[in-house]
Amino acid sequence: MMGPAAAVELTMWVMPVTTNAQHDVPALLAPWLAQHPGTTVRVTVLDWESGWNKITAAAASRRGPDLLELGTTWMPAIAAMGGLERLSASQLAEVDNGAPYYPQLWKTTQVFGRTGVYGLPWYADVRAAFYRTDVFRQAGVDPKQAFSNWDSFRAALEKINGTTVAGKRVAALAYAGKNDWNVVHNLAPWIWNAGGDVLTADAKHSALDSPQALRAIDFYSSLAVEGLVPANALEKDSDILEGAWVGGDYGVIFSGPWLMRRILETPAASLVRTNFDVAPYPAGPHGHATFFGGSNLAIFKGSRHKGEAWELVKYLGGKASQVQLSQLSSMMPARIDAANDPAWTQRHPAFAKLTAIAADGRAYPPIPAWGPLETVYTKHLGQLAELSSGIGDKYSVPAMRALIASTVVEADKVLEEAN
Amino acid sequence: MTAVSEPGLGALVGGASRASAPRRRKFDAFPYLLLAPAALMMVIVNLVPIVQGFRMSMLKLNQYTLSQFMGAPFVGLRNYRGVLFDATNPVHAGMLGALRNTALYSLLVTLCAVAIGLGVALLLNRDFPGKAAARTLLMLPWVVPTYVVGTLWGFMWQRDEGIINHVLVDVLHLMDHKPFWLIGSNTFFAIVIPTVWRAWPVLMLIFLAALQAVPEELYEAARLDGANAWQRFVNITLPALKPVIVIQVMFQIIDNVYSYNIVAMMFGKGAGYPGEWGDLLMPLLTRQSFSYWRFGEGAAVSFVMMAVMLVFVAVWMRTFRRSMTDEA
Repeated sequence: MMGPAAAVELTMWVMPVTTNAQHDVPALLAPWLAQHPGTTVRVTVLDWESGWNKITAAAASRRGPDLLELGTTWMPAIAAMGGLERLSASQLAEVDNGAPYYPQLWKTTQVFGRTGVYGLPWYADVRAAFYRTDVFRQAGVDPKQAFSNWDSFRAALEKINGTTVAGKRVAALAYAGKNDWNVVHNLAPWIWNAGGDVLTADAKHSALDSPQALRAIDFYSSLAVEGLVPANALEKDSDILEGAWVGGDYGVIFSGPWLMRRILETPAASLVRTNFDVAPYPAGPHGHATFFGGSNLAIFKGSRHKGEAWELVKYLGGKASQVQLSQLSSMMPARIDAANDPAWTQRHPAFAKLTAIAADGRAYPPIPAWGPLETVYTKHLGQLAELSSGIGDKYSVPAMRALIASTVVEADKVLEEAN
Repeated sequence: MTAVSEPGLGALVGGASRASAPRRRKFDAFPYLLLAPAALMMVIVNLVPIVQGFRMSMLKLNQYTLSQFMGAPFVGLRNYRGVLFDATNPVHAGMLGALRNTALYSLLVTLCAVAIGLGVALLLNRDFPGKAAARTLLMLPWVVPTYVVGTLWGFMWQRDEGIINHVLVDVLHLMDHKPFWLIGSNTFFAIVIPTVWRAWPVLMLIFLAALQAVPEELYEAARLDGANAWQRFVNITLPALKPVIVIQVMFQIIDNVYSYNIVAMMFGKGAGYPGEWGDLLMPLLTRQSFSYWRFGEGAAVSFVMMAVMLVFVAVWMRTFRRSMTDEA
C-alpha cells in the first residue's frame, strides 16, 4: 500500500510571487520534481497581509513548513527567533558562499552583527522611476537631464505638471501617503542619496533626524507641498496609483519590476506601452541609490526533511530556475547571472535598465527589529504625507522636524529592546 | 422549578403542616450532566484563554522571548504601568487620540444606527405592496462582511474618483468643491458612516420583530382616546421597545468599541495608518502590539479594555435592569 521508503512530501509556503502562484510555483518546481521521483511538494500560497502572523506563529511553535519564502526584511527576525535552519559550511560551499547573488541581497540572508547564513535570495524588488516619454516630450523636457539631480528633477516635474496628453491632464508625480505599506521604501532612497540613512551605523538608533535625512525628507515632502504630487495621490495606495499611472494620470511613478507586468498586459499599441521608460532615482548629493529588496528562501528549523528541502532551495536559487521565475512573475532574479541573462534583459529594454539600476541598490540593515521599526516609520511618515497634503495643518520645516523627532523617540524605544 | 415534584405539589395543596417542614431536596445530577459538555467547552474556549491572556499581560513577551511563550520573564504589573502611564511606551503612543475617536465613534454609530433602524422598522411595520422584498433589500448592507465594507468604502470616499463626492457635488450640488475624506479630520466621518450603513439593517430587523409583538389593541384603544401618531409612538411604541432598545444599544456600543475591520481595510488594508482622526483603539492595539511584537503589553491593554467594558456592561445592566425585564 505504502510507496517506497524514500517517498517524501515537502511542504512549502510562498507569497503570491506571480498572479497565479498556486499554478505557477508547481510549474517552477516541475523540472526538479522530475529529477526527484518519489518527492512531492505541497505548496501553500500565503498573502503578504497575513503571512507575517502565520510565519511568526510557526516559528514560535516550531511547527511549520519544510521550506518557505520570506521577505528580505522578515528573514532576520525569523532567524533571530530560531525559526530557520542555519546553512552549513558545506552547503555554503555548494553555492560559492553567495558569490552568484547580488551582495546586497546576500546580506539579507544573515542577521546584522551575527555570523551565519539562513537561506538563499530568490527574487529581487528593485525600485526605479517609471516615466511617460510622451509627457516629457510634450513638455519639452529631456528625461536624461530630468533625472540627473534633485534640482533638475524638480524643474522637470514643474514643467510636466498639468501637461495634456491625448486629452488627459497629467499630474507630475505619484507617491502614496499614509494608506499604504510602501511609505518607507518610497522615502529611503531619497535619504540615502542625501547621505543619510534610516539607522545609525551600529543599527542601535534611528537616523531619521540626521541633517542629511531631514534634508531628504523636506525635499520629498516639498514635492507634495508644491502640488507636484497631487493631494489626491496621497489618499491612495501604491496599487491604485500604479494603475492610474498606467492609465495616464501621472507622468512619473517610482515602482518596481512588477509594474512591467501591468504595462505589458496593456494592448501592444497602448499609449503607456509605446511611451514609457525607466530611469534611476535622481542623484542627490551622495548618488542615486535605490531600494533593493525582495524575497529569500529558507529551511524551517522544525523541518523533518532538511536534506530534501535544501536540495529544493538550492535548485530554486539556481540560474535556470530564477530565469524561469522572472518570466512567470516579472520579478527580477536575485542572481547576477540570471539578471543579465538575455531571457530577462531582452524581454523588454526596461528589464535591462532595471538590472543596471540594481547595481546601485541598497537594502536595509538586516536587523531582527526591522518589522516593528518599519511599522513605526510607516505610521509617522504617513502622518508626514498627510501634513504635506495641505489638508488640515500646514506643512512647515519645524512641524516636519517635530514629527521626525517623535518618530525617532518611538523608533529608538523599539530598537532599545533589540539591543 | 425542578424541585417541585408531585409530592411537593401535594404538600402545597394539602396543608400548611408539611409546608412548614419542607423535606430536604434530593440532589438530581442529571441536569448537570446535560450541562457539563457545554460548560466544559465554555471553560476551554473562554476561561482558559482569558487566564492565559492575563498571565501573558504580566510577561515580557516580545519578539525575543516569544519562543519561550508562557516561560517569558515575569514583570508583574509593569506592562500595565507602561501602556497606561508611560508616554514614551510605543504601545501607549497615540492612545489618547484613539480613545477620543473610539468614544465619539461608538456613540455616534450607535445613535445613528439605532435611530435609522427604528425609523425604518416603523415604516416597514405597516402593510404595503412589496414589503417583503423591501425588507430583504434593506438587509443587504448587513450581509456584506466588514472587511469588504472597509475596502469598498475606501474606494467610494476617494476625492476625485469616488462615487460619494460625485453624488454630493456633481449630482446633488450640495457642495461647491470635492472634499477629502481619507485625509484630515474628515476621516472620522469616513469610518462612522460605513459602520452605520452596515449596522442599522440588523437593528431594523430586531425592532421590526419587537414591533410586531406589540398588541394592536393598544393602538386601537389609544386612537379611540384621541391619541395622535406621536403620542402613540411615545406612550406605546417606545415603552414596548424599551427592553430591546436598551439591550441593542449595549451590544452596539460593545461592537463599536471593538471595531477593527472597517478602519483597517479602508486605510492601507491593515498596513497603513488611519491618521489622527481615523485611528480607533483596536487598530491601534493591533498595530502597536502585534506589529511592534509587544505581546505582553498588548495583552495588558486588552485586559484594561475588557475591564472597562465589564464595568460599562455592569453599570448599564444595573441602570436599565427594570427596563429590560418590564413587560410592555
